[in-house]
Parts: sequence; C-alpha cells; structure tokens
Amino acid sequence: MAKSDDGIRILQGLLVFGNVVIGMCGIALTAECIFFVSDPHGLYPLLEATENDDIYAAAWIGIFVGFALFALSILGIVGVIKCNRTLLLVYIILMLITYAFEMASCITAATHRDFLTPNLFLKQMLERYNKSDTVNNNDKWMTEGVTKTWNKLMLQNQCCGVRGPSDWQDYMSAFRTTHSDADFPWPHHCCVMNAKGSPVNLDGCKLGVPGYYNSNGCYDAISGPMNTHAWGVAWFGFAILCWTFCVLLGTMFYWSRIEY
Amino acid sequence: PHSRPRHPGARTMLPLLLLLLATAHGLEEVRYKPKLAGPPLGGLTTASTFVLEQPRCIFNSVSSDAVIWLVVAVPEAVAKFNNSVKPGTPQRDFHGFPTTTPAYMTLNTTTLNYPCPPTPPGEITVLRVGSETSCATDTRRPTCNGPLPGPGPYRVKFLALNDSGPVAQSMWSDPITLKTAKPPSSIPVMGSGHSAGMIALTSILSILFAILLAGLVAML
Repeated sequence: MAKSDDGIRILQGLLVFGNVVIGMCGIALTAECIFFVSDPHGLYPLLEATENDDIYAAAWIGIFVGFALFALSILGIVGVIKCNRTLLLVYIILMLITYAFEMASCITAATHRDFLTPNLFLKQMLERYNKSDTVNNNDKWMTEGVTKTWNKLMLQNQCCGVRGPSDWQDYMSAFRTTHSDADFPWPHHCCVMNAKGSPVNLDGCKLGVPGYYNSNGCYDAISGPMNTHAWGVAWFGFAILCWTFCVLLGTMFYWSRIEY
Repeated sequence: PHSRPRHPGARTMLPLLLLLLATAHGLEEVRYKPKLAGPPLGGLTTASTFVLEQPRCIFNSVSSDAVIWLVVAVPEAVAKFNNSVKPGTPQRDFHGFPTTTPAYMTLNTTTLNYPCPPTPPGEITVLRVGSETSCATDTRRPTCNGPLPGPGPYRVKFLALNDSGPVAQSMWSDPITLKTAKPPSSIPVMGSGHSAGMIALTSILSILFAILLAGLVAML
C-alpha cells in the first residue's frame, strides 16, 4: 500500500508548497480585510443607514479566516513533514470548518453588493439628508451619519446628488421641507467653493451656471470603493478557496496513503 | 343696374382709423416674445422659479422715465388682461396669485437696465422670476418677486408704464411649465436581481465544498 519513496517525497513537497501559499494568502486576506473594515473612504454611515451593511460583516469574517488559514497552514506543514496521521486529520477537519466560514464570507459579500444600487442611495439621501424631525436616537444617529457623509462626499469629490443636481429637483426630500426651492434648488455643498469654504458665486450656483456648481453625480465616488471592497473580499476569497480545495484534496490523498 | 362705385380710398380708411386709434392710446406693440434664458443653466426651471432672458435692446423706443414691469399670469387670464390696472393694487398682488389675482406684476426697472448692445460675451444677464423669498409672506410688498406657488403653466409679458398709463407691451410668451417633484417613495429600490458573478461564485464554491465533504467521508 505504501507508495514509492519518490512519489511520497514529491507529494510531500507539493503539499508543503501548497500550505506555504495558503499561509501567505491568509496573511494577505487578513490585511486586505482590515483595510476594508477601517473604511478609508468614510462610506460606512451610508451602509449603516440602509441597515444592510453585510459586506462589512463579510470583511470581519475575512480577518479571522485569514488568520486561521495562516495558523492551520503551519499545522499542515508540520503534519506533512512528520507524516503524522493525527495531526493531519485535525488539520483537515479544521480546514474544512475554515473553508465553510470563508465560503459564507465570499457569498455574503457578493450577494449584498448586488443590493447597493443607485436607487437605494438616492432614496436614502432624499429621506435622510438634513432630516430635521428624527423620531428616536437611532434615527438621529443615522441621519447625522448620512448628512455628514454626503457633505464630505460633495465637497471632496466635487459632485452633487446621486445622479446629479437634478435629483434635488425631480424628487421631494427631507431637505426640501426645511430649505425653500427658490433659495436652495440644491444644497450649497454642491456649489464650487473657495479656499475658505464658502461658495464662489452663490447666485451662479443657484442659477446653475456651469463652473459655479457641481453638475456631476456622486454615484461613482460611492460605488467605486464599495465595488473594490465587495469584489476584493469575494473574489480573493474565491481564489484562496480554489487553491485550498486542491491542497485539501492532496492532503486527504496523502493521509490515506501513509501508515501510522 | 350698376353698383354704386365705391370711394377708392374706403378700403384703406378702416385699418388706418384703427391704427390711429391704437396709437392715440399710445400703446406700442413690440414684436418680442419673452422666452427662457438661452445659455444652458442647470436651474433654468425649478419647482418654483424660472429664468427669463432680459429684454435688452427691445424697449429702446420708450422714453427713459417709463418703468418696465414683468407681468406673470395664468394662461386663462391672458385673453382679458387689462393693461391699465396699476401694479401694486390688490388686483395685481403677488400674494393672491393665482387664486384671487390671476396675474401679478413685478421686477420693475427702467430701460436703462436693458441697454443696447445686448449681453457682452462671457457674461450672463438673466431675470430670475421667483427669487425673492424674504417678501413671500410680506403683504406690504404686493410687487414681490416671490417664488411661484405651483408648477404652472404660466405666461409672461413685459409692460412699459409711465405716469399716464401703459406705453408699450411685448407679446405674451409661450406657456412656461415648472418642475414637479415626485415623492421619494416612488423610487423602485428592489429588483436588480443577482449578478452573474455572484451566481457563478456561489455555485462553484458549493460544488467544491461538497466534493471536499465527500472526500472526507470516503477517507474515514
């Protein structure tokens, strides 16, 4: 039943190499997910207000899975070199559990990315931006988050609304109830600002003169980072899982071929 | 029988008399139709304002002591509009528009503000109707240029008045309709479906996991 020494040696070498790659990818996955969770673009309040922030949950799972992959890969290398059946059995079972968690993370990230459409953000912006009559603390917290995030987005990316300033004209909004249409056809953050943070030409901004107001929409500035986040977690995780699949199959074969 | 020959000048007498009548009242008809401003402005029409082109170089035959007013009316009031009603009276009060007063007058200025030549290039000269929010509820200002109460449509014209009454008027504009805002609940949020990538990812990962579990069972 024992294979020839050369065959075993080659299989051992391949498995050690496979586990080294898994270990490095685990570290990379942890680093990537920590980067996403730290929210460098400050878009988390928008997701929190949609009550659909599962792509962040997927990134959190990714952090722990990456670390687990690193630890298990070391266990796997030790088990393969020592030809120890017990160690390898523990390795296989724990790897399968980690595999299941990572699978959940990838599928969650991919599925919930599909929910984040322009209409979702448009509706949220219209209903929450600058809303003045909040019903409870949670509502107030989410409204403040959305308002601050949108103000920051509009100033930093020189954009207005989700598809453009016409969003503020085409739809009623919480903003419109406290700011009259004649004075604020769109929020003043849509105006081109000078160095001191006030509009260069307020009348030009209200009229909609090109050059004095931001005429493009903010959706690209929102969807760009979120796509990177979701696809980064989902597809990198998918790649790791495909590689792990091969290594696990090889390990199971190796386990069934070595003797106690 | 022969018809009595008509006086050769009879045919031209009647129109001449009518013209004399019109100019006797002193009301000059300027062949200018007010229209929305030319340059592409984002706020050309909003829910309560609109932007008109200034009538530059139009009323240059009117003396400089005349005041040019903008008349804003609902289309039903155009046919029986009376030029002699003075601005600032209750019949032309902005605050009753459009329920009790079907037309109001605002944005008064002299011809010196609408000079020839027309707008130099690189500048934008417009009239924004509806921009004064401070006097929108102040009934002491009947000629307020306040925000329009609804989406319209509205028709406008320019009317030049001096102490003795109206001296010149432009044509009525085409109906101007403002924007209507839809409620945000009308935005469809659901139903983008699942992307192909997500379906592929889910199915491939499920298959691989199933194979691994089968391998585990076979191994033990």
